[in-house]
Amino acid sequence: MTCESASALIPLYHYGELTPEQEDTLEAHVHECGSCSQAMDRQRALARALDRREVTAPPRLLDDCRGDLFAAIQGGATAGSKAFSKGPWTLFLEALGATFAGLGRMRQPLAAAALLAVGFFGARLTATKTAITAGGVAQPAYTTVRSISTVGSGKVEISVDDTTRRIVSGGLDDPAIQQLVLAGSREDNAAVRVESVGLLKDRAASGEVRDALVNALAADPNPAVRMKALEGLRPLAGDAQIRQVLAQALIRDDNPVIRMQAVDLLVAQRDDSMVGVLQNLVQHEDNNYVRLKVAKALKDMNASVGTF
Amino acid sequence: MNPQVDSLIRAAQRGDQDAFEQLVRVYDQSVLRLAMNLLRSPEDARDVYQEAFLRVYRNLHTFRFDCSFHTWLYRIVTNICLDQLRKRKVRKEEAAVVETSEGPVDRMDLFEEENAAADPERTTWNRQLGQRIESALGDLTPRERMVFELRHYQGLRLRAIGDVLGTTEEAAKNCLFRATQKMRGVLGDFI
Repeated sequence: MTCESASALIPLYHYGELTPEQEDTLEAHVHECGSCSQAMDRQRALARALDRREVTAPPRLLDDCRGDLFAAIQGGATAGSKAFSKGPWTLFLEALGATFAGLGRMRQPLAAAALLAVGFFGARLTATKTAITAGGVAQPAYTTVRSISTVGSGKVEISVDDTTRRIVSGGLDDPAIQQLVLAGSREDNAAVRVESVGLLKDRAASGEVRDALVNALAADPNPAVRMKALEGLRPLAGDAQIRQVLAQALIRDDNPVIRMQAVDLLVAQRDDSMVGVLQNLVQHEDNNYVRLKVAKALKDMNASVGTF
Repeated sequence: MNPQVDSLIRAAQRGDQDAFEQLVRVYDQSVLRLAMNLLRSPEDARDVYQEAFLRVYRNLHTFRFDCSFHTWLYRIVTNICLDQLRKRKVRKEEAAVVETSEGPVDRMDLFEEENAAADPERTTWNRQLGQRIESALGDLTPRERMVFELRHYQGLRLRAIGDVLGTTEEAAKNCLFRATQKMRGVLGDFI
């Protein structure tokens, strides 16, 4: 094998796309050839650098996208229609127009988009799950005037949005109530989010609740909400995906109390894959208590505090 | 073929909206991840998501199970993403970069830093590396970019990538090779 042909195979080798025979031949060549061995190292370094640049979708973006899509479908997208000609945003805005007229273009900062997703869920519950109104008590409507125009003969035409408030009561086992509490966990009002996540934290066995807790821990700006979400995820701390979320909280959360709790949950059971995360953290952690806790956890795992 | 997915598809083809929603939820995270990684813009990723699944909704009745649903869906998604990438090439816009008081910054860096109390030194190095990688990725043709994305980040085999992009495994291999060579060239001493 020549260095030129080896060079062509190195990326494919890295991605496991060679036949076993090609792999053997390449490995034998790389073993003997210093420059191809370096080329192999560079391929690995490139992959690591690119791994670090992988983007994770912001947690609320997925909810927002789902909200847009299902609203568009409810608002007029037709299955199997070849004559379908409206763009997705048109459909989405039309769907919103029916319920939340005047909120305008959705390409706003994420917080605003999240608010709309909550609005969508609220609208959806109102529209499709009418049983929820059984125990509700109607309150006075809030009215917003969106536009006024004269139409001749001294008359005016006024476009009005009415928002009504209802009081809904029921147990958390009621799916409709649970949906509202889930919507509350994404509300703009932090107090509502704290209450909502506090109610959900004992119900992490449900996939939807679990997702809400994960989202809250990863992205909620309020530490009290994140703390409650962390408590809710405690029973799931053995789950590999949840451990990834906890590791992210440990690395990214700016609240040391949450980082301390995350360490506790992560080291409660032996998991060698966490050693690297903890070793990395202990080098960069600026809070003494967290750093000492991580160092102790590493010692308990018989792992060194430093990296080599 | 996944029997659960198949039954969801059949139910959705009969007009069962809940089944369609469940079907979307099976695949939408990976679709969004692909769009985010390729376009590095939450707004554009959102548009791709919306357009892709609306196309699926409108055309699901034409799906005949002669390939996997994943392949069928990804043909739709990659076509939309390739269109976006080509438009960017034509406009010569770098949508992933925004101007700040400290100069041009990858918008995803801004997003990440909202969450992270980052070490300034590490952030600077990461930012430089990030800019270099963005530049390297920007030098790829849309097709090379797509093949690289599907293999490196989405973990698809080259044969499956060929199926999705309507080309051969050999052509996908060549694309991957060219993409990695270009990136190694641009990243130079960073790796």
